[in-house]
Amino acid sequence: MAKNEMLPGTLGMLVLRVLQPGALHGYAIAQRIHTLSNDLLQVEEGSLYPALQRMLIKGWVRAEWGISETNRKVRFYKLTAAGRKQLQSEMTDFGRVLQGIHAVLNKA
Amino acid sequence: MGEFFRRIYFFLNQRKLDRELAQDMAVHREMLGDDRKDFGNPTLLAEQSHEALGWGWLERLVQDLRYGFRILVKNPGFTLIAMLALGLGIGANTALFSVVYGVLIKPLPYTQGNQLVVLKQTAAAPMKGMQHNGMASMNNVAFSALDITDYRKQTRAFSLLEEYHSMGFILLDGQEPTRVTTGVVSAHFFDMLGIKPLYGRLFNDGDETKESDAVLVLSYPYWKNHYGGDPSIIGRHFRMNDRVHTVIGVLPPVPQYPRENDVYMTTVACPFRSSPMMAEHRDHRMVELFGRLKPGETVESGTSDLGVIVSRLEKTYPESYPPQGLNVSMESLRTRLTEDVRPMLLILLATAGLVLLIACANVANLALARMMRREQELAVRAALGASRGRLVRQLLTESTLLSVGGGLLGLILASQCLALLVTFVSRFTTRAAEVNISLPVLLFTLTLSLLTGLIFGAAPAFSQRTNLVNSLKEGNNSATIKTDGNRIRNLLAVGQVAISFILLIGAGLMIRSFVKLQQLDAGYNGDHILAANIPLNFSKYKNNQDNLLFFDSLKQKLQATPGVLGVAFDSGAPLAPGSPMNQDFQVEGQPNTDRDGMQQTSFEVASSNAFRLLGIPVLSGRNFTDQDKDQAPPVAIVNRTFARHYFPNEDPLNKRITPDKGKTMLTIVGVVGDVKQFGLDKDPVDTVYLSMAQFSMAYTVLIKTAGDPLNYASQLRKAVFSIDKDQPITDVKTLDELRGDSLAATRITSILLALFAALALIIAATGLSGVTALLVSQRTREIGIRLALGAQRGEVLAMVVKQSMRVILIGLGVGIVVALLVSRVMSKLLFDTPPTDPATFAGVALVLLCVALVASYVPARRVTRVNPLIALRAE
Repeated sequence: MAKNEMLPGTLGMLVLRVLQPGALHGYAIAQRIHTLSNDLLQVEEGSLYPALQRMLIKGWVRAEWGISETNRKVRFYKLTAAGRKQLQSEMTDFGRVLQGIHAVLNKA
Repeated sequence: MGEFFRRIYFFLNQRKLDRELAQDMAVHREMLGDDRKDFGNPTLLAEQSHEALGWGWLERLVQDLRYGFRILVKNPGFTLIAMLALGLGIGANTALFSVVYGVLIKPLPYTQGNQLVVLKQTAAAPMKGMQHNGMASMNNVAFSALDITDYRKQTRAFSLLEEYHSMGFILLDGQEPTRVTTGVVSAHFFDMLGIKPLYGRLFNDGDETKESDAVLVLSYPYWKNHYGGDPSIIGRHFRMNDRVHTVIGVLPPVPQYPRENDVYMTTVACPFRSSPMMAEHRDHRMVELFGRLKPGETVESGTSDLGVIVSRLEKTYPESYPPQGLNVSMESLRTRLTEDVRPMLLILLATAGLVLLIACANVANLALARMMRREQELAVRAALGASRGRLVRQLLTESTLLSVGGGLLGLILASQCLALLVTFVSRFTTRAAEVNISLPVLLFTLTLSLLTGLIFGAAPAFSQRTNLVNSLKEGNNSATIKTDGNRIRNLLAVGQVAISFILLIGAGLMIRSFVKLQQLDAGYNGDHILAANIPLNFSKYKNNQDNLLFFDSLKQKLQATPGVLGVAFDSGAPLAPGSPMNQDFQVEGQPNTDRDGMQQTSFEVASSNAFRLLGIPVLSGRNFTDQDKDQAPPVAIVNRTFARHYFPNEDPLNKRITPDKGKTMLTIVGVVGDVKQFGLDKDPVDTVYLSMAQFSMAYTVLIKTAGDPLNYASQLRKAVFSIDKDQPITDVKTLDELRGDSLAATRITSILLALFAALALIIAATGLSGVTALLVSQRTREIGIRLALGAQRGEVLAMVVKQSMRVILIGLGVGIVVALLVSRVMSKLLFDTPPTDPATFAGVALVLLCVALVASYVPARRVTRVNPLIALRAE
């Protein structure tokens, strides 16, 4: 897998996950995913912002104004209760799928 | 807060949110620092993020609509023509569909209307006879009061069996005497239909006993028109038939079935129905019978139920039944009420549908032509990133906008001409009163508009070029022949020609029938004759003597009027609305049993000079004379059909017939020519004329006049009132008017079909013109070259015309084949004209060819004005 590609459908889960400890702004979300993945995953900004918009609509995250490290006014995205629940279920689902894939790869 | 509300919130605050998003992205870009270029196209990103909100479709729709609207406004010519064509098409369809819906589709406005049936009794057809008479109703037999009592007692399938007949009586309410059409019904007639009174009450068992007071229920329109909708009418007393009648109720404004009546009374109030004759004689059959089937019973089970009862009654009362017995059948009330009008309505609706199809094809052609001019615009849009789907959607939005506009126009047109159409249809069915523009009609119109938009929008939208580069490279004056678009356009033109041909055939056949009917010899000469009904009040004029006295003095008064050339009396004017008064009869020496069935003929009464006044020839024997008086032996004159039918090989003169099993013996003294008394399209019926001097019931006066007969109507009125001021006069019309009225249905159907066909022809002709004009403009360069190389202008013109001729001829061919296949559906509406009438086909083909030739020749002539130099430079 090329370094800046991601399994389809997993971006949302990753975003929700990195927001779990606390609110972050867009750039920080991308950075955090990049760092936590040991530089393996690169979030495409082209997918990040549409994904965030979708999550706002779904009510999984809330946006609040804050000040960035560069002293700019920017929106911080914060996980809501619904978002937590969504993250939980996505992680469970993903775990199961991964298990399945592993099982096939190891036995075949 | 649910997702739905969040979406709406986002939608309403999208500007603010877009700004915030842009801010986020700006910060993001700043932080990326040197990697900024990795961020991608910020505008596209912003748009994609915006899309995520999920309102894209609506925004695009609004955009498309706004853009489409602008485009349409910018091309007012195209928009106007297209909307007009579509509006006419959709309007015609809306109007006709509202009639079809109200009359044929909507359930009867009665409680469980589908359980209501009309019962019919028929006598087995005699060996000779019926086929000859040509009228299906000839052997219909009404029901007798005793029949009905037994049916009610024995039936298992019917919850109610109710009788009905309609008569005209004179109603005196202290003002002008009026002749009211009176429905005479049994007590539960309205219960059977499930009608509740608007005011007062309707009939119950207490109103139908021998001791009951006479009571009346008024119909809604009669109450509105004569008593101004005054609710205090309940309890008012009217005089009818020398009795006091009390108003007990008013009907709600429901359509009346089986036909419109002014007032209703119960059977005991009708002097005929309550006569001992009716009440005691099983073979005195005069009423109609309606029934409500019990839940779960069907027309089939009801028929077999009554069949059993009838065969039981036949065994018990053999003398009251014909030897072959009677057949009882039934038909749902709904079918019965609409069967006369169904084929015509469906044909008209189909016609309107075809007109709309032509309009669609034509607008599609216009739109295609416009597309060629818009190709560059579309190419530019595509080059800037609009997807093919997006462009298709844009074009379909435009066409739908157009068709919905047309639909609105059509709705207005339809509501304007609906009243006319309803008047027309009410000639055939009382259900016409239920026609209006209702919700289903609106839905139909909306669906039709959207569909229309998609249909005519599809052609231009999908004929779009895929090759952008070529479109961009081509100049505005592209002279390349675009074969693809042309094929569609030619196909559309072929379709238009074919459909116009079919519509023209429909109109042509109808008009031919109409002309044939109009030129038909009806057997009499109705020139300058005024007819009027003078229904003598039988409670005042009790016998022949009273009647004759009245009519004699009327005749004398009228004859004294200058300009009156003759006065005669008759039991019914020729072609006046009505059906034959059939009655059983026997021929002396011809046993009835030989004929295996009931033998009936129409009886008429005529004064001695009636035949001469009407120009009906006496073929053999003599006319009635003054000697055929009350005391003289009763005589009869028969028509030719009767004579041929019952005396095929002998001389009918001096033979005797009897209408009442021998009590009265009528000697045939003459044979007269046949008259189409009951309809130009119907064969003459067997008719026996009685002498007025002996049977005075000739309530129609015929006045031959020197000038316009209608000028004598006031003299007639004066004469009648001077003899009896309480005597109403009805149906004052000239015989020519009556003849015209009897053709009204055929005439209006012809006019409607002709109108549709003409509309189709005009639309198709403009379509052809358009195709040819485009062809010419596309080939300007080629024509220029040809001319430069020395071709004659005539040759070039012929070449262009030949090309459009191909389209016309193919369309004509398709039209002829399809018309031959489908014109059969018209046969019920036609008179003496086969649906594949060669003369009509040839004539219509010729008309269409001429129109099409002119339509393509006019624009083709432009080639002769092509200047080779300019044409060649045009590139």
